[in-house]
Amino acid sequence: MKTSIANVGLFSLLTIMAFVAFSLNVVAQGGTGEEEGLPLVLIFLLPFILLSLFGIVWMILWPAMFLWGAAFSGKKVERMHEEANQRRNSLRNRMGREILSSIDGGYRTSVSNAGLVHANGVFGPSHWHLMIGFFNNLIGGSVTVFQQVISAGRAEVMQRLREQAEAEGWDEVINVRIDTASMTPQSSNSRNTVRGVEIYAYGTGIKYE
Amino acid sequence: MQQVVNGILVVNTETIPGKIITETMGVVSGSTVRAKNVGKDIFAGLKNIVGGELTQYTELLQESRNEAVGRMVADAMSIGATAVVNVRFATSAITAGAAELFAYGTAVKYE
Repeated sequence: MKTSIANVGLFSLLTIMAFVAFSLNVVAQGGTGEEEGLPLVLIFLLPFILLSLFGIVWMILWPAMFLWGAAFSGKKVERMHEEANQRRNSLRNRMGREILSSIDGGYRTSVSNAGLVHANGVFGPSHWHLMIGFFNNLIGGSVTVFQQVISAGRAEVMQRLREQAEAEGWDEVINVRIDTASMTPQSSNSRNTVRGVEIYAYGTGIKYE
Repeated sequence: MQQVVNGILVVNTETIPGKIITETMGVVSGSTVRAKNVGKDIFAGLKNIVGGELTQYTELLQESRNEAVGRMVADAMSIGATAVVNVRFATSAITAGAAELFAYGTAVKYE
């Protein structure tokens, strides 16, 4: 994403400079009827100007954010995992039991109500993690950085499902299924896309009489 | 509790806990393709550099999933069912900013 947008930015900046120089030249030569041509040219060029500004900002921002990610993203993932586990423990203490189960028939017979409960989240590794993952891939074996991100995300999403169930007033959630889908399409140019994994948990909430 | 969508009960178990299914009426489905605006895509791209949750895409998928479920329920209503059981979801990313969400299940009548 970085290289392509920066290139587009530079290219459009050059185009703008060429156009502005050209139109100034035309005006300076005093061509008839060219005076109202200049604002029109600027209006047409406005998208390119904005794009080039974005390209410049991106070129400055990317290295700074990359370094920020290198310094803090690992800790951030760990903190997210710990926080999800703490919320899980406190909710378990409050409810007195674990409310999620993946079996179909794990309910008592006196059920008054049932309905779908779902929660989701999209999580992505930082560019620093992607770089570590790339080198890890060369060596082979388990790629722990990605595994950490995904398991932290999964803990978070399951906790959201519990909280959602509690908020909607269900006593228990049965038949819980967890889906994982990549946000990055297989076919597209992988340099230009956001890398992320969507984790989606759903189940049937039941209410006892 | 919003377990009943437009008067139709939606569960992902094969039976409805506490109810008896009297008639099955075939498979119903609903799908949607949605995308966020460019600004949110750019923000998600920035967020992706430092990693963590991409809230824009979480929202996007949540909204589209609700819409897909809504269409599935409308499909079930049109054939006169009173519940949809065994609901499944399928997701596919078409491009980075857009996602197709597909929800399907079996329409039934219960008492």
